[in-house]
Amino acid sequence: MATQSLNPAGDFRTTYAADTTIFPTAGSRYAVLAGLAILCLAPLWLERYWLSLLIQIGYFGVAALGLNILVGFTGQISIGHAAFFGFGAFASAWLSNNLGLPVFFAVPLAGVVTTAVGLVFGLPAARLKGLYLAIATLAAQYILQDFFARANWFTGGVAGTAAEPFSILGFAFDTDQRYFYVVLAYVVATYVLATNLMRSRDGRALVAVRDHYLSAEMMGINLTRYRTLSFGLSAFFAGIGGALYAHYLQFVSVEGFGILLSIQFLGMIIIGGLGSIMGTLMGTAFMVLIPEAMGWLTDAVRGSGLDRALSLKDNLSFLREMAIGLVIVLFLMFEPDGLAHRWRQVKAYWKLYPFSH
Amino acid sequence: MIRTATLTSALALALALPAGAAEIPIGHLADQSGATSDVGVPYAQGVADALAWVNRKGGVKGERMAVESVDYGYQVPRAVALYKKWTGGRDKVAAIQGWGTADTEALSAFVTKDEIPYVSGSYAAQVSDPTGASGKAKAAPYNFFYGPTYSDALRGMLIWAAEDWKAKGRPGKPKFVHMGGNHPYPNSPKEAGEAMARELGFDVLPAIVFALAPGDYTSQCLTAKNAGANYAYLGNTGGSNISLLKSCKAVGTDIQFMGNVWGMDENAAKAAGEAANGVVFPVRTAAVTGGTAPGLTTAAEISKESDAAGTVYRPVHYYAGICAALYMTEALAWAKDNGGLAGPTVRKGFYQKKGWVPARMEGVCVPSTWTESDHRGMMEVHIYRAKVSGPTDGALADLMKAGTIKLEPVKTVELPRKPEWQGW
Repeated sequence: MATQSLNPAGDFRTTYAADTTIFPTAGSRYAVLAGLAILCLAPLWLERYWLSLLIQIGYFGVAALGLNILVGFTGQISIGHAAFFGFGAFASAWLSNNLGLPVFFAVPLAGVVTTAVGLVFGLPAARLKGLYLAIATLAAQYILQDFFARANWFTGGVAGTAAEPFSILGFAFDTDQRYFYVVLAYVVATYVLATNLMRSRDGRALVAVRDHYLSAEMMGINLTRYRTLSFGLSAFFAGIGGALYAHYLQFVSVEGFGILLSIQFLGMIIIGGLGSIMGTLMGTAFMVLIPEAMGWLTDAVRGSGLDRALSLKDNLSFLREMAIGLVIVLFLMFEPDGLAHRWRQVKAYWKLYPFSH
Repeated sequence: MIRTATLTSALALALALPAGAAEIPIGHLADQSGATSDVGVPYAQGVADALAWVNRKGGVKGERMAVESVDYGYQVPRAVALYKKWTGGRDKVAAIQGWGTADTEALSAFVTKDEIPYVSGSYAAQVSDPTGASGKAKAAPYNFFYGPTYSDALRGMLIWAAEDWKAKGRPGKPKFVHMGGNHPYPNSPKEAGEAMARELGFDVLPAIVFALAPGDYTSQCLTAKNAGANYAYLGNTGGSNISLLKSCKAVGTDIQFMGNVWGMDENAAKAAGEAANGVVFPVRTAAVTGGTAPGLTTAAEISKESDAAGTVYRPVHYYAGICAALYMTEALAWAKDNGGLAGPTVRKGFYQKKGWVPARMEGVCVPSTWTESDHRGMMEVHIYRAKVSGPTDGALADLMKAGTIKLEPVKTVELPRKPEWQGW
């Protein structure tokens, strides 16, 4: 871990527990706690627009975390993540609408149901690798999407379905200010869960499968079990993220869960940093904020001299989409190790400043 | 000189208006990049131009509207998110100009709860029942739209089709088929159309699905041909219908196609070329570009809001957009005089006139009537036929002028306002 370079000279560990601690220094622990405290106060002073973006980063971040476990930590591939995200959304809406389950319980339960679906679609991973596995997960994407469009009893078919607002004992979290706390709680819980998972025996097994599957097998790691398990885990987080999304919008429709969203999830973890927990959140923030930033840019250009000179008009909205693509390509060219890597470098730079060489 | 004048007038305006002069916030959902952008672009331009024109003429009873037009790409989740943005803050929108069927139906429950008048570009009969008394649809008291419902338009075209079959003196029962994507919008009039067709003595064939986006639809055309369809309803919008018409021309079908209100227009006729020849479709306005109605002069003035030179050709959807926007501004104006811009008052504003035509739009906007128990604004269906008589290269305005592409009025069907036809 690169963070170890920030430890004072002469600092060494005598136990494995000390080696795998989440917060290597007291300062980093306080920084995270202070950050959380600021976030808890955010609804009091942040504008609604920014809150909605933070909420979006939250539920996508939870789902992207699942994909990072699968791709970044276990070395598998999935281009059907959006379908699991969608399944969680529909499952949670269905559980609360049809079984009368409180949304509070429907969200984690949707995660469990989606895990089961993920395990089923993860079965090909036992035998397939690389591009072949990618195509197999593509099947999951299309099968589930078609299922959403046709299963009227479950999803309301192409017309979609309404989802109840999140509530605890009659207190409805139906505004952005309130729902923010729900998402924040889930983000903290899932990120702590994933971090700890990676410190456990199972987590190390997943990494071993990624690094060298033959050696891992010789060391007694059951490849089939761990590969399938990682699909289940990834679907679990996707399901939770989807359920949070459903109860935030209070409406779920099949259109939102296309392959484009699957690719976006991949974009989030690649930009954030494969195999990095915190990087996942950074990448998600990047992918959520970049269309907004491009939106501000096109709004600034709209009606300006440049707009008139090139007579862009309606083409501006297309230009925006193109610019998003361009920014992502440039980012991958100049920052191939992801935001997490850059973040470590920035930290190291200031730690050693001004004697960085 | 000009700059000084502008500055002075701006200064004068700034001084004349009290600090933080109230503006009426209006939300405008447009599809400029999604599956229905081919017709979404001209309609949204009509709405935006009409609202800008009203603003320039002094706004709604002296109050300007702050219109936020957003391209939502025909994605329901994006529409819902925008709606929440417009209604969650302090300056809640007074009314919304919406677009697609899926998002309108999804938002219907929200606008009912929040009491926000919502004028959609979707004419789904499912949002035309304000009380829910029909038992066919959920109550949608805040949903309005300008035009016949999709179902009524199809009923009207089927009545025409039955007469057409008789007039041609062909033997046996005519066969009808519903064609469209599996999506709330093409599905909306399916049940109503098939029931009406049976009632009129058609054989109803199993519906044929083709996607909302352009593609190769040869197999769909072969299915329709082999089943022996005589009349086919096209539930999709222009781009997708164009590819179907082209595929069907290649296959050599002998089917009378009947488009949805959004299924055919001048642009689509140009793109489809001779494959579009003979397609019938309903037009919501009483006049189209090139006509002589007095309202067209006003429309030309409105058109200059986005096209100062006045050279851009405006297809039928542009006028529908103008009408939809002007009904809303007049309802807002009535509400302003009668107790303020709260949702329930604006809603009442829609009920004030019978056979209502917005000021200066005579001969363009068809007289419409909304009541507290019936949001089917109009029951007449103006059926037109697209005529294409040659290659369609070149500018649309020239093609229309030369008569290469013509929109020919075929028949106006006046449907009875049957209560059992409401809501589906």
